[in-house]
Amino acid sequence: MSTVDWKNYTPVLLPDIKDLHKIDVYIKNGGYKALKSVLTDKKSWDGPKAVIEEVKSANIRGRGGAGFNAGLKWSFMPPADGGPRYLACNGDESEPGTFKDRKIFEYNPHVFIEGALIAAYAMEITTIYVYIRGEYKTYIDMVENAIADAYNKGYIGKNIFGSDFSVDFYVHSGAGAYICGEETSMLESLEGKRGYPRVKPPFPAQKGLWGRPTTINNVETLSHVTGVINNGAEWFSGIGAKTHPGPVLYGISGHVNNPGVYELPSGIPVLDLIEIAGGMRNGKKLKAVIPGGSSTPILRADQLDGITMDSDSLRTVGSMLGTAGMVVMDEDTDIVDVLWRISHFYHHESCGQCTPCREGTGWLEKILLKIKNGDGEVRDLDLLLDVTTQMEGRTICALADAAAWPVRFTINRFRDEFEARCKKKSHAVA
Amino acid sequence: MPEIFIDGHRYEFEGDHKVLQFIQDLGKEVPFFCYHPSMTAPANCRQCMVKAGQYMKDRETGEYEVDENGERVIRWFPKLQTSCNLMAADGMVILTQETDELVQRAQKDNLELILINHPLDCPICDQAGECPLQIQTYKYGPEGSRFEVKKVHKPKRIQLGPRVVLDAERCINCTRCTRFTQEISKTDQLTITSRGDKNYPTTAPGREFDDPYSLNTVDICPVGALTSADFRFKARVWEMNQTPSIDITNGKGTNIDLWTRDNLILRVTPRFNAEVNDHWMPDAGREAYKIFNENRISRPQQKLDGEQILSSWNNAIATLSEEIAATDNSKIVVIASPHASVEENYALSKYTNLLGLNQPVFTPHIEEGTGDDFLLSDDVAPNANGCRLLGFTELDKASIKKEIKKAELVVILHDNLIDREVIAADDLKEKFVVVFATNNSDTSKAADLVIPITTAAEHAASYVNVDGRIQRTYRAKETKYTERRLDLEMSEGRLDRYGTNFDNWVTEDNKIDCLPVWKFINRISEHSGLECNFNDGREIMDEIASTLDSFTGVSYAAMDEQAGIQLSIKKETSTSK
Ligand SMILES: Cc1cc2nc3c(=O)[nH]c(=O)nc-3n(C[C@H](O)[C@H](O)[C@H](O)COP(=O)(O)O)c2cc1C
Ligand code: SF4
Ligand code: SF4
Ligand code: SF4
Ligand code: FES
Repeated sequence: MSTVDWKNYTPVLLPDIKDLHKIDVYIKNGGYKALKSVLTDKKSWDGPKAVIEEVKSANIRGRGGAGFNAGLKWSFMPPADGGPRYLACNGDESEPGTFKDRKIFEYNPHVFIEGALIAAYAMEITTIYVYIRGEYKTYIDMVENAIADAYNKGYIGKNIFGSDFSVDFYVHSGAGAYICGEETSMLESLEGKRGYPRVKPPFPAQKGLWGRPTTINNVETLSHVTGVINNGAEWFSGIGAKTHPGPVLYGISGHVNNPGVYELPSGIPVLDLIEIAGGMRNGKKLKAVIPGGSSTPILRADQLDGITMDSDSLRTVGSMLGTAGMVVMDEDTDIVDVLWRISHFYHHESCGQCTPCREGTGWLEKILLKIKNGDGEVRDLDLLLDVTTQMEGRTICALADAAAWPVRFTINRFRDEFEARCKKKSHAVA
Repeated sequence: MPEIFIDGHRYEFEGDHKVLQFIQDLGKEVPFFCYHPSMTAPANCRQCMVKAGQYMKDRETGEYEVDENGERVIRWFPKLQTSCNLMAADGMVILTQETDELVQRAQKDNLELILINHPLDCPICDQAGECPLQIQTYKYGPEGSRFEVKKVHKPKRIQLGPRVVLDAERCINCTRCTRFTQEISKTDQLTITSRGDKNYPTTAPGREFDDPYSLNTVDICPVGALTSADFRFKARVWEMNQTPSIDITNGKGTNIDLWTRDNLILRVTPRFNAEVNDHWMPDAGREAYKIFNENRISRPQQKLDGEQILSSWNNAIATLSEEIAATDNSKIVVIASPHASVEENYALSKYTNLLGLNQPVFTPHIEEGTGDDFLLSDDVAPNANGCRLLGFTELDKASIKKEIKKAELVVILHDNLIDREVIAADDLKEKFVVVFATNNSDTSKAADLVIPITTAAEHAASYVNVDGRIQRTYRAKETKYTERRLDLEMSEGRLDRYGTNFDNWVTEDNKIDCLPVWKFINRISEHSGLECNFNDGREIMDEIASTLDSFTGVSYAAMDEQAGIQLSIKKETSTSK
């Protein structure tokens, strides 16, 4: 395993520049050069396809959780037919443990806006929406201001940089539903409907927003596009882990001294990351880590030796990078309580469309509550595992999986703690 | 031709097919709840799971690839698939619950999950007996439940609108009702509210579910969550008998079923006909069941000193014969009816022809504003086109009035001319008025002689709708003169099928003393020495088809086979909207 040189890394999404959210500061620091280059430098950029190719070879793996190559996703868009085409930027950011996109909105909105505009050019998109969770009222206002500034400069709107590329950019605010972060549910919500995920096929590239070709990308994913255009695909793919390259915004929360968002290369050892975040609070011992948002399987401290923050390494111990929103838990953590709280979240957030998720999430939570209150029995643990099997892979969207995995893996990895909380087997008297 | 392999059998297909529908069309089954053939498939109930895969083909040769044992290579989808939104593809391999244990398991698991928060009110639930959830649980569900924690409670007895009541606890969230208002009736009145296991359908705040097609949601709701405010708790489905019929309250000719118990029609539901009404019917037509039960005329009535009193059939026949004999032919007007069937109109006209009277006249029954662009027409009578095709003279209201003015003897077949304001009661003064009627009305009250006749629920007869389609009814309830056990035309009740003592068919209750028009014609023509010998609607239609060109090829057998027959009608006479 090659060690990633993160000590000499200079951040590109969240650099230490004062007032970078202001468009003039952003421009002074090289902002909108990438956009200008793809639109006007015909020698370097032979049309939209060339941009897609560059992004594809950079291998920006989606930062929204699934880790899909962004350029490859863009290439699924059908040829333009003169009708509307959409880019929907996902800033719903609702997975517990995840709070990175808001840093971009707050400190460097233009790097995202520029990336989205480049993506729009590459896919011949006519309208961009950025869907931001309603609770981010402050950041919604900031992004709206940034977009207005970019309109004023002529970076958004008609014939950008004198080219024949025109695009509009709108902010859409969510109304408090985690499920609206699921890409097709987000499309329904953008259409003004109830946030119910759609069945696939058809895929959004074929029939997306209002039945038109649409691509959905996470805000961080799109923000990386700007750097790829400025510095080249090789620069990006040379950073961090080979198969999951580039800078990552790690959101670290829990029992560390300095929780927060850290921009570093992918593939950092998990234990180093905890040190970067100031180490364990009060000198406590590490008990467990949820590496990338609440749906990614929990890892015990003893599983973490040599494990790095990239999908390949995490897979070897049965977890995933997800959104790189890492939750650190110390020795005093009540794992039963943690799992109940996670299950409560998914129960609360299931859209209720499909049977296994609608009914299963509630059942899981209720059994866990019973165990947490000391009323559970060991057989309830097996029932929990059964219920997760009844949910996984049988629903319209991945929320059911996201709800089932934590239960399955937390019980498997901390079974003794759950059993200890259960009632001792009582033999009923006939 | 493309081929698909289902449970090891090979089937050919052409065109686009959803796998679930394809399997059903083969007469096989996969359990499901949310799918409806006339609406989009949201695949949300997750009940219709199958295992799906694809036989691999060699790109170059187009031949199926085989492994070292000579078996075809299958690439399976990584997950089970919902068959309701899976499109059949060439070389597709499908395993249903019949052949695959994992599929069986998944379907069972899903039913366990559906039921954990379900109230299991079956003993008091209107849906019991025709409940897909109940049926499929028995067939594919688990033995018991492992759910030992508290169920979710949701609102019950919510009056969503004037005609529909919701029990949110029974709802399985299939969205058939909301999709109906979005895709079919297009009123968008229903949506799902709340999230997760708390959600249920509702209207916008302060709004009522008063969609003119609202009761269709009760029919398609796969559980007892939506019930009809009128019908709920009135009868268990297994106590009733279901008879195909036609909606006679509108010219559209919507195909319906009549549900009978104790010789009363208790509810009306739509019957599928792709050419007419698909799976749907307007709420207005459902109210009609009351006209079969209530305010019926039983036994002939005759006016004596200005008062109508009960008479007898013999008296009625004698009186009418005497009046006809005593009146100059030119002073007799016979008014046929778009509300009566082809057979009734024909029988009456045959008799009046034998008497040498003028051809009957009729006037259509148009109520401006009733029609919509779906299943209602402004023509609210079921058979105006039937009258036209029989060659009767069509008159407007004023001309009918004039005809009546000239006459001394007025014979009105089943048409409430006073009630629908074609004429006034005064227009009938000083004349002898005979009315053939099913229900009491201002028109029947104005008559000197009232002949009680059978309704569409009591005879088998045909009606030609606004689009020129001839369709027929079946006998759904007995009259004083019919005996269901001897009547092969009647559909079977529980006693016929199972011989139980709880059958409610065998009752003398609620039998009306009335005759089909043609039976009355038989008796009166015999009285006056004329030759009319009608047996039943079936034979009358054979006679009509062999004598009138416009009905060539029509027979009960043909109508039954083709769900009605399209006749050619002259465009200008059609009032189709
Ligand atoms: C229940 C659920 C919630 C999700 N929430 C988010 C979210 O808040 N933000 C996000 O970027 N992606 C979210 N996703 C992932 C999106 O569906 C989608 O994969 C992603 O936005 C694609 O962008 P990417 O390829 O750039 O990662 C969610 C997925 C699921 C199943
Ligand atoms: S899996 Fe859950 S959240 Fe996703 S569509 Fe189904 S019910 Fe909704
Ligand atoms: S909906 Fe069906 S299963 Fe549920 S209570 Fe009614 S009859 Fe029983
Ligand atoms: S009320 Fe009935 S039709 Fe409507 S969603 Fe619930 S179960 Fe489905
Ligand atoms: S019928 Fe297929 S998912 Fe409901």
